[in-house]
Amino acid sequence: METLTPPETAHDLTVFWTWMGEDGICRTKTKPQSEITLKEAIENSNVVTSLYKDKKFPLLVDARDIKSMAKEARRHFSTNGRATKINAMGIMVSSPLSRIVGNFFMGLNKPQIPARLFDDELEAIDWLKKYVE
Amino acid sequence: MSRNLKDSGPERVQEILEVIMSYARFDFSKKTSIIGNETLDAIGAGVNMLGEELESSTISLKEKEQLLKEIHHRVKNNLQIVSSLLNLQSENILDKRYLDLIIESRNRINSMALVHEMLYSSKDLSKIEIGHYVERLSKGIEHSLSKNDSDVKFNFNIEEGLFFDIDHMIPLGLILNEIISNSYKYAFPENKGSITIEMLDTQQFYRMTVKDNGIGFKPNFDLKRDSNLGMQLIYMLAEQLDGKVEINNELGVSYQILIPH
Repeated sequence: METLTPPETAHDLTVFWTWMGEDGICRTKTKPQSEITLKEAIENSNVVTSLYKDKKFPLLVDARDIKSMAKEARRHFSTNGRATKINAMGIMVSSPLSRIVGNFFMGLNKPQIPARLFDDELEAIDWLKKYVE
Repeated sequence: MSRNLKDSGPERVQEILEVIMSYARFDFSKKTSIIGNETLDAIGAGVNMLGEELESSTISLKEKEQLLKEIHHRVKNNLQIVSSLLNLQSENILDKRYLDLIIESRNRINSMALVHEMLYSSKDLSKIEIGHYVERLSKGIEHSLSKNDSDVKFNFNIEEGLFFDIDHMIPLGLILNEIISNSYKYAFPENKGSITIEMLDTQQFYRMTVKDNGIGFKPNFDLKRDSNLGMQLIYMLAEQLDGKVEINNELGVSYQILIPH
Protein backbone atom coordinates (compact mmCIF):
# COMPACT_ATOMS: atom_id res chain seq x y z
CA MET A 1 0.00 0.00 0.00
CA GLU A 2 1.36 3.39 -1.02
CA THR A 3 1.46 6.09 1.59
CA LEU A 4 1.58 9.85 1.45
CA THR A 5 5.33 9.94 2.00
CA PRO A 6 6.76 11.56 -1.13
CA PRO A 7 9.03 9.19 -3.10
CA GLU A 8 12.38 10.41 -4.46
CA THR A 9 10.82 10.78 -7.88
CA ALA A 10 8.16 13.24 -6.60
CA HIS A 11 8.09 16.71 -8.12
CA ASP A 12 9.53 19.00 -5.49
CA LEU A 13 7.54 22.22 -5.93
CA THR A 14 7.50 25.45 -3.94
CA VAL A 15 4.94 24.29 -1.38
CA PHE A 16 3.98 20.80 -2.67
CA TRP A 17 5.41 17.43 -3.40
CA THR A 18 3.45 15.89 -6.27
CA TRP A 19 3.69 12.47 -7.84
CA MET A 20 1.68 9.76 -9.61
CA GLY A 21 1.15 6.62 -7.58
CA GLU A 22 1.46 3.17 -9.12
CA ASP A 23 -2.23 2.65 -8.30
CA GLY A 24 -3.20 5.42 -10.76
CA ILE A 25 -4.01 7.91 -8.01
CA CYS A 26 -2.11 11.19 -8.17
CA ARG A 27 -0.87 12.48 -4.83
CA THR A 28 0.05 15.95 -3.76
CA LYS A 29 1.28 16.80 -0.28
CA THR A 30 1.59 20.26 1.18
CA LYS A 31 4.91 21.07 2.80
CA PRO A 32 4.83 21.99 6.49
CA GLN A 33 3.33 25.45 7.18
CA SER A 34 2.72 26.07 3.50
CA GLU A 35 0.93 29.25 2.45
CA ILE A 36 -0.70 28.58 -0.88
CA THR A 37 -1.33 31.48 -3.23
CA LEU A 38 -2.55 31.35 -6.81
CA LYS A 39 1.05 31.09 -8.04
CA GLU A 40 1.74 27.89 -6.10
CA ALA A 41 -1.70 26.51 -7.03
CA ILE A 42 -0.99 26.99 -10.76
CA GLU A 43 2.50 25.55 -10.39
CA ASN A 44 0.99 22.43 -8.84
CA SER A 45 -1.88 21.99 -11.26
CA ASN A 46 0.50 22.33 -14.22
CA VAL A 47 2.54 19.44 -12.87
CA VAL A 48 -0.58 17.40 -12.07
CA THR A 49 -1.91 17.90 -15.59
CA SER A 50 1.38 16.77 -17.10
CA LEU A 51 1.39 13.42 -15.31
CA TYR A 52 -0.85 11.61 -17.81
CA LYS A 53 -1.44 12.62 -21.38
CA ASP A 54 -4.58 10.89 -22.45
CA LYS A 55 -6.65 9.93 -19.46
CA LYS A 56 -8.25 11.39 -16.41
CA PHE A 57 -7.28 10.39 -12.90
CA PRO A 58 -8.19 11.00 -9.24
CA LEU A 59 -6.13 13.19 -6.91
CA LEU A 60 -5.37 12.73 -3.23
CA VAL A 61 -4.36 15.99 -1.54
CA ASP A 62 -2.61 15.79 1.80
CA ALA A 63 -3.47 19.17 3.32
CA ARG A 64 -2.66 18.22 6.90
CA ASP A 65 0.33 20.57 7.11
CA ILE A 66 -1.29 23.52 5.37
CA LYS A 67 -1.10 26.97 6.93
CA SER A 68 -3.30 28.96 4.60
CA MET A 69 -4.82 28.96 1.15
CA ALA A 70 -5.68 32.26 -0.54
CA LYS A 71 -9.11 32.81 -2.06
CA GLU A 72 -7.72 32.79 -5.63
CA ALA A 73 -5.94 29.49 -4.96
CA ARG A 74 -9.13 27.94 -3.55
CA ARG A 75 -11.00 29.03 -6.66
CA HIS A 76 -8.28 27.62 -8.91
CA PHE A 77 -8.24 24.26 -7.12
CA SER A 78 -12.02 24.00 -7.36
CA THR A 79 -11.38 23.29 -11.08
CA ASN A 80 -14.46 25.32 -11.95
CA GLY A 81 -14.14 26.85 -15.38
CA ARG A 82 -10.76 25.39 -16.28
CA ALA A 83 -9.63 22.30 -18.17
CA THR A 84 -8.36 19.60 -15.83
CA LYS A 85 -7.47 15.94 -15.93
CA ILE A 86 -8.65 15.38 -12.37
CA ASN A 87 -11.89 13.41 -12.16
CA ALA A 88 -12.18 13.24 -8.34
CA MET A 89 -10.45 14.78 -5.35
CA GLY A 90 -9.90 13.44 -1.85
CA ILE A 91 -8.46 15.85 0.69
CA MET A 92 -6.74 14.63 3.83
CA VAL A 93 -7.31 16.84 6.86
CA SER A 94 -6.59 16.27 10.52
CA SER A 95 -5.63 19.40 12.46
CA PRO A 96 -8.27 22.06 13.23
CA LEU A 97 -6.47 24.36 10.78
CA SER A 98 -6.52 21.91 7.88
CA ARG A 99 -10.18 21.08 8.63
CA ILE A 100 -11.13 24.75 8.47
CA VAL A 101 -9.26 25.29 5.19
CA GLY A 102 -10.71 22.06 3.79
CA ASN A 103 -14.27 22.93 4.77
CA PHE A 104 -13.96 26.42 3.32
CA PHE A 105 -12.68 24.93 0.10
CA MET A 106 -15.54 22.42 -0.07
CA GLY A 107 -18.21 24.91 0.97
CA LEU A 108 -17.41 28.22 -0.65
CA ASN A 109 -15.49 26.92 -3.64
CA LYS A 110 -17.43 23.74 -4.26
CA PRO A 111 -15.37 21.75 -6.79
CA GLN A 112 -16.92 20.75 -10.10
CA ILE A 113 -15.71 17.17 -9.70
CA PRO A 114 -16.61 14.71 -6.90
CA ALA A 115 -14.66 15.78 -3.81
CA ARG A 116 -14.57 14.70 -0.17
CA LEU A 117 -12.62 15.42 3.00
CA PHE A 118 -11.02 12.47 4.81
CA ASP A 119 -9.10 11.95 7.98
CA ASP A 120 -8.34 8.34 7.17
CA GLU A 121 -5.88 7.74 4.36
CA LEU A 122 -7.03 4.19 3.54
CA GLU A 123 -10.63 5.29 3.34
CA ALA A 124 -9.62 8.11 0.97
CA ILE A 125 -7.70 5.75 -1.30
CA ASP A 126 -10.58 3.25 -1.33
CA TRP A 127 -12.96 5.99 -2.45
CA LEU A 128 -10.58 7.40 -5.09
CA LYS A 129 -9.90 3.96 -6.62
CA LYS A 130 -13.40 4.04 -8.11
CA TYR A 131 -12.27 6.89 -10.33
CA VAL A 132 -9.11 5.24 -11.73
CA GLU A 133 -9.67 4.71 -15.48
CA MET B 1 8.64 31.39 15.64
CA SER B 2 6.07 29.48 17.65
CA ARG B 3 4.59 30.87 20.83
CA ASN B 4 3.25 29.12 23.86
CA LEU B 5 -0.48 28.93 23.25
CA LYS B 6 -1.33 29.13 26.94
CA ASP B 7 0.65 32.34 27.37
CA SER B 8 -0.43 33.96 24.14
CA GLY B 9 -4.09 32.84 24.11
CA PRO B 10 -5.74 36.04 25.38
CA GLU B 11 -3.52 38.17 23.12
CA ARG B 12 -4.38 36.07 20.12
CA VAL B 13 -8.09 36.14 20.91
CA GLN B 14 -7.78 39.93 21.13
CA GLU B 15 -5.96 40.02 17.78
CA ILE B 16 -8.66 37.90 16.13
CA LEU B 17 -11.38 40.13 17.61
CA GLU B 18 -9.65 43.23 16.22
CA VAL B 19 -9.50 41.67 12.77
CA ILE B 20 -13.22 40.77 12.95
CA MET B 21 -14.02 44.35 13.98
CA SER B 22 -12.01 45.77 11.09
CA TYR B 23 -13.95 43.48 8.71
CA ALA B 24 -17.16 44.83 10.27
CA ARG B 25 -15.95 48.30 9.19
CA PHE B 26 -15.27 46.91 5.69
CA ASP B 27 -11.54 47.32 6.24
CA PHE B 28 -10.04 44.16 4.82
CA SER B 29 -6.39 45.14 5.11
CA LYS B 30 -5.84 43.15 8.31
CA LYS B 31 -5.39 39.43 8.73
CA THR B 32 -4.89 37.28 11.79
CA SER B 33 -1.49 35.66 12.14
CA ILE B 34 -1.29 31.88 11.85
CA ILE B 35 1.63 30.64 13.90
CA GLY B 36 0.88 27.00 14.57
CA ASN B 37 -1.63 24.28 14.05
CA GLU B 38 -3.90 24.77 17.03
CA THR B 39 -7.52 25.71 17.50
CA LEU B 40 -6.83 29.46 17.62
CA ASP B 41 -4.88 29.18 14.37
CA ALA B 42 -7.86 27.41 12.82
CA ILE B 43 -10.22 30.12 14.07
CA GLY B 44 -7.82 32.79 12.76
CA ALA B 45 -7.59 31.06 9.36
CA GLY B 46 -11.38 30.85 9.21
CA VAL B 47 -11.70 34.56 10.00
CA ASN B 48 -9.11 35.39 7.31
CA MET B 49 -10.96 33.35 4.71
CA LEU B 50 -14.33 34.82 5.69
CA GLY B 51 -12.76 38.28 5.30
CA GLU B 52 -11.51 37.39 1.82
CA GLU B 53 -14.93 36.16 0.77
CA LEU B 54 -16.68 39.19 2.31
CA GLU B 55 -14.27 41.55 0.53
CA SER B 56 -14.89 39.76 -2.73
CA SER B 57 -18.68 39.93 -2.27
CA THR B 58 -18.44 43.60 -1.33
CA ILE B 59 -16.47 44.41 -4.47
CA SER B 60 -18.90 42.43 -6.58
CA LEU B 61 -21.84 44.26 -4.96
CA LYS B 62 -20.19 47.63 -5.65
CA GLU B 63 -19.66 46.66 -9.27
CA LYS B 64 -23.33 45.69 -9.57
CA GLU B 65 -24.39 48.98 -7.99
CA GLN B 66 -22.21 50.84 -10.47
CA LEU B 67 -23.79 48.91 -13.31
CA LEU B 68 -27.30 49.63 -12.04
CA LYS B 69 -26.41 53.31 -11.74
CA GLU B 70 -25.17 53.25 -15.32
CA ILE B 71 -28.39 51.59 -16.50
CA HIS B 72 -30.58 54.20 -14.77
CA HIS B 73 -28.39 56.92 -16.27
CA ARG B 74 -28.75 55.51 -19.76
CA VAL B 75 -32.50 54.96 -19.44
CA LYS B 76 -32.88 58.56 -18.28
CA ASN B 77 -30.70 59.81 -21.15
CA ASN B 78 -32.70 57.81 -23.69
CA LEU B 79 -35.98 59.11 -22.29
CA GLN B 80 -34.59 62.64 -22.47
CA ILE B 81 -33.64 62.09 -26.09
CA VAL B 82 -37.23 61.04 -26.85
CA SER B 83 -38.46 64.09 -24.94
CA SER B 84 -36.12 66.36 -26.94
CA LEU B 85 -37.25 64.80 -30.20
CA LEU B 86 -40.84 65.57 -29.27
CA ASN B 87 -39.78 69.14 -28.51
CA LEU B 88 -38.18 69.46 -31.93
CA GLN B 89 -41.24 67.97 -33.55
CA SER B 90 -43.49 70.43 -31.76
CA GLU B 91 -41.67 73.39 -33.30
CA ASN B 92 -43.20 72.61 -36.68
CA ILE B 93 -46.73 72.07 -35.44
CA LEU B 94 -49.24 74.88 -35.57
CA ASP B 95 -52.38 72.94 -34.69
CA LYS B 96 -52.92 73.43 -30.95
CA ARG B 97 -54.56 70.00 -30.50
CA TYR B 98 -51.49 68.19 -31.82
CA LEU B 99 -49.18 70.49 -29.94
CA ASP B 100 -50.99 69.70 -26.68
CA LEU B 101 -50.74 65.97 -27.38
CA ILE B 102 -47.01 66.29 -27.87
CA ILE B 103 -46.59 68.32 -24.68
CA GLU B 104 -48.64 65.73 -22.73
CA SER B 105 -46.53 62.88 -24.10
CA ARG B 106 -43.33 64.76 -23.35
CA ASN B 107 -44.38 65.42 -19.75
CA ARG B 108 -45.25 61.73 -19.24
CA ILE B 109 -41.80 60.78 -20.48
CA ASN B 110 -40.19 63.41 -18.26
CA SER B 111 -42.02 62.07 -15.20
CA MET B 112 -40.43 58.66 -15.84
CA ALA B 113 -37.01 60.10 -16.68
CA LEU B 114 -37.05 61.94 -13.35
CA VAL B 115 -37.51 58.64 -11.49
CA HIS B 116 -34.43 57.19 -13.19
CA GLU B 117 -32.43 60.38 -12.63
CA MET B 118 -33.26 60.40 -8.94
CA LEU B 119 -32.52 56.70 -8.61
CA TYR B 120 -28.99 56.96 -9.97
CA SER B 121 -28.32 60.07 -7.90
CA SER B 122 -29.52 58.49 -4.68
CA LYS B 123 -27.41 56.55 -2.20
CA ASP B 124 -29.88 53.71 -2.21
CA LEU B 125 -30.29 52.79 -5.84
CA SER B 126 -33.55 50.97 -5.25
CA LYS B 127 -35.72 53.68 -3.66
CA ILE B 128 -36.36 57.41 -3.80
CA GLU B 129 -38.02 59.78 -1.41
CA ILE B 130 -41.38 60.78 -2.84
CA GLY B 131 -41.41 64.25 -1.25
CA HIS B 132 -38.32 65.26 -3.14
CA TYR B 133 -39.67 63.72 -6.33
CA VAL B 134 -43.07 65.46 -6.10
CA GLU B 135 -41.46 68.88 -5.71
CA ARG B 136 -39.21 68.38 -8.71
CA LEU B 137 -41.99 66.93 -10.85
CA SER B 138 -44.30 69.82 -10.00
CA LYS B 139 -41.64 72.35 -10.97
CA GLY B 140 -41.14 70.56 -14.28
CA ILE B 141 -44.87 70.58 -15.07
CA GLU B 142 -45.15 74.21 -14.02
CA HIS B 143 -42.29 75.09 -16.34
CA SER B 144 -43.96 73.22 -19.18
CA LEU B 145 -47.59 74.31 -18.79
CA SER B 146 -47.67 77.67 -17.05
CA LYS B 147 -48.37 80.76 -19.09
CA ASN B 148 -46.73 84.16 -18.79
CA ASP B 149 -49.41 85.53 -16.49
CA SER B 150 -49.85 82.29 -14.48
CA ASP B 151 -50.05 82.47 -10.73
CA VAL B 152 -50.56 78.86 -9.66
CA LYS B 153 -49.05 77.97 -6.31
CA PHE B 154 -48.11 74.55 -5.00
CA ASN B 155 -48.59 73.47 -1.40
CA PHE B 156 -46.87 70.29 -0.26
CA ASN B 157 -47.74 68.27 2.77
CA ILE B 158 -45.71 65.16 2.32
CA GLU B 159 -44.60 62.97 5.18
CA GLU B 160 -40.83 62.95 5.49
CA GLY B 161 -38.95 59.76 4.82
CA LEU B 162 -41.51 58.10 2.56
CA PHE B 163 -39.53 56.01 0.12
CA PHE B 164 -40.84 54.04 -2.85
CA ASP B 165 -39.18 51.66 -5.28
CA ILE B 166 -39.25 52.06 -9.05
CA ASP B 167 -42.30 49.80 -9.44
CA HIS B 168 -44.30 52.26 -7.35
CA MET B 169 -42.59 55.46 -8.44
CA ILE B 170 -43.22 55.17 -12.17
CA PRO B 171 -47.03 54.77 -11.82
CA LEU B 172 -47.19 57.32 -8.99
CA GLY B 173 -45.20 59.82 -11.06
CA LEU B 174 -47.46 59.32 -14.06
CA ILE B 175 -50.61 59.67 -11.91
CA LEU B 176 -49.31 62.89 -10.40
CA ASN B 177 -48.36 64.17 -13.82
CA GLU B 178 -51.89 63.57 -15.14
CA ILE B 179 -53.65 65.17 -12.18
CA ILE B 180 -51.41 68.24 -12.03
CA SER B 181 -51.60 68.65 -15.80
CA ASN B 182 -55.41 68.43 -15.70
CA SER B 183 -55.50 71.14 -13.05
CA TYR B 184 -53.27 73.37 -15.16
CA LYS B 185 -55.37 72.75 -18.25
CA TYR B 186 -58.90 72.95 -16.88
CA ALA B 187 -59.10 74.27 -13.31
CA PHE B 188 -57.86 77.81 -13.64
CA PRO B 189 -59.37 79.77 -16.54
CA GLU B 190 -57.76 82.90 -15.15
CA ASN B 191 -54.47 81.09 -14.56
CA LYS B 192 -54.67 81.68 -10.82
CA GLY B 193 -55.09 79.18 -8.03
CA SER B 194 -53.36 76.56 -5.95
CA ILE B 195 -52.62 72.86 -6.09
CA THR B 196 -52.11 70.94 -2.85
CA ILE B 197 -50.33 67.63 -2.76
CA GLU B 198 -50.42 65.45 0.35
CA MET B 199 -48.90 62.07 0.98
CA LEU B 200 -49.27 60.23 4.25
CA ASP B 201 -48.60 56.75 5.54
CA THR B 202 -51.66 55.69 7.53
CA GLN B 203 -49.94 52.39 8.44
CA GLN B 204 -52.61 50.50 6.48
CA PHE B 205 -52.00 52.26 3.19
CA TYR B 206 -50.38 55.29 1.64
CA ARG B 207 -52.81 58.11 1.01
CA MET B 208 -51.99 60.52 -1.76
CA THR B 209 -54.28 63.52 -2.17
CA VAL B 210 -54.00 66.07 -4.97
CA LYS B 211 -56.50 68.88 -4.94
CA ASP B 212 -56.91 72.20 -6.67
CA ASN B 213 -59.12 75.16 -5.79
CA GLY B 214 -60.24 75.67 -9.35
CA ILE B 215 -63.62 75.69 -11.03
CA GLY B 216 -64.21 71.95 -10.72
CA PHE B 217 -65.62 69.64 -13.37
CA LYS B 218 -68.19 71.05 -15.78
CA PRO B 219 -71.80 70.58 -14.76
CA ASN B 220 -73.08 67.16 -15.93
CA PHE B 221 -69.51 65.90 -16.21
CA ASP B 222 -69.65 62.12 -16.35
CA LEU B 223 -66.46 60.32 -15.44
CA LYS B 224 -67.21 57.29 -17.60
CA ARG B 225 -68.46 59.23 -20.58
CA ASP B 226 -66.22 62.27 -20.53
CA SER B 227 -62.89 60.86 -19.32
CA ASN B 228 -59.87 61.75 -21.40
CA LEU B 229 -56.79 59.57 -21.79
CA GLY B 230 -55.23 61.21 -18.74
CA MET B 231 -58.16 60.23 -16.53
CA GLN B 232 -58.12 56.67 -17.88
CA LEU B 233 -54.41 56.51 -17.17
CA ILE B 234 -54.99 57.54 -13.55
CA TYR B 235 -57.38 54.63 -13.02
CA MET B 236 -55.22 52.13 -14.90
CA LEU B 237 -52.05 53.09 -13.03
CA ALA B 238 -53.80 53.06 -9.65
CA GLU B 239 -55.05 49.57 -10.44
CA GLN B 240 -51.48 48.57 -11.25
CA LEU B 241 -50.62 49.56 -7.66
CA ASP B 242 -53.68 47.68 -6.33
CA GLY B 243 -54.88 51.11 -5.30
CA LYS B 244 -58.20 52.92 -5.27
CA VAL B 245 -59.09 56.32 -6.71
CA GLU B 246 -61.68 58.60 -5.16
CA ILE B 247 -62.59 61.84 -6.85
CA ASN B 248 -64.36 64.74 -5.18
CA ASN B 249 -65.72 67.72 -7.04
CA GLU B 250 -66.31 70.26 -4.27
CA LEU B 251 -64.41 73.53 -4.06
CA GLY B 252 -62.26 72.38 -6.92
CA VAL B 253 -61.28 68.85 -7.86
CA SER B 254 -59.68 66.51 -5.38
CA TYR B 255 -58.19 63.09 -6.10
CA GLN B 256 -57.45 60.65 -3.32
CA ILE B 257 -55.38 57.59 -4.19
CA LEU B 258 -55.10 54.83 -1.59
CA ILE B 259 -52.22 52.44 -2.12
CA PRO B 260 -51.89 49.36 0.08
CA HIS B 261 -48.55 48.64 1.75
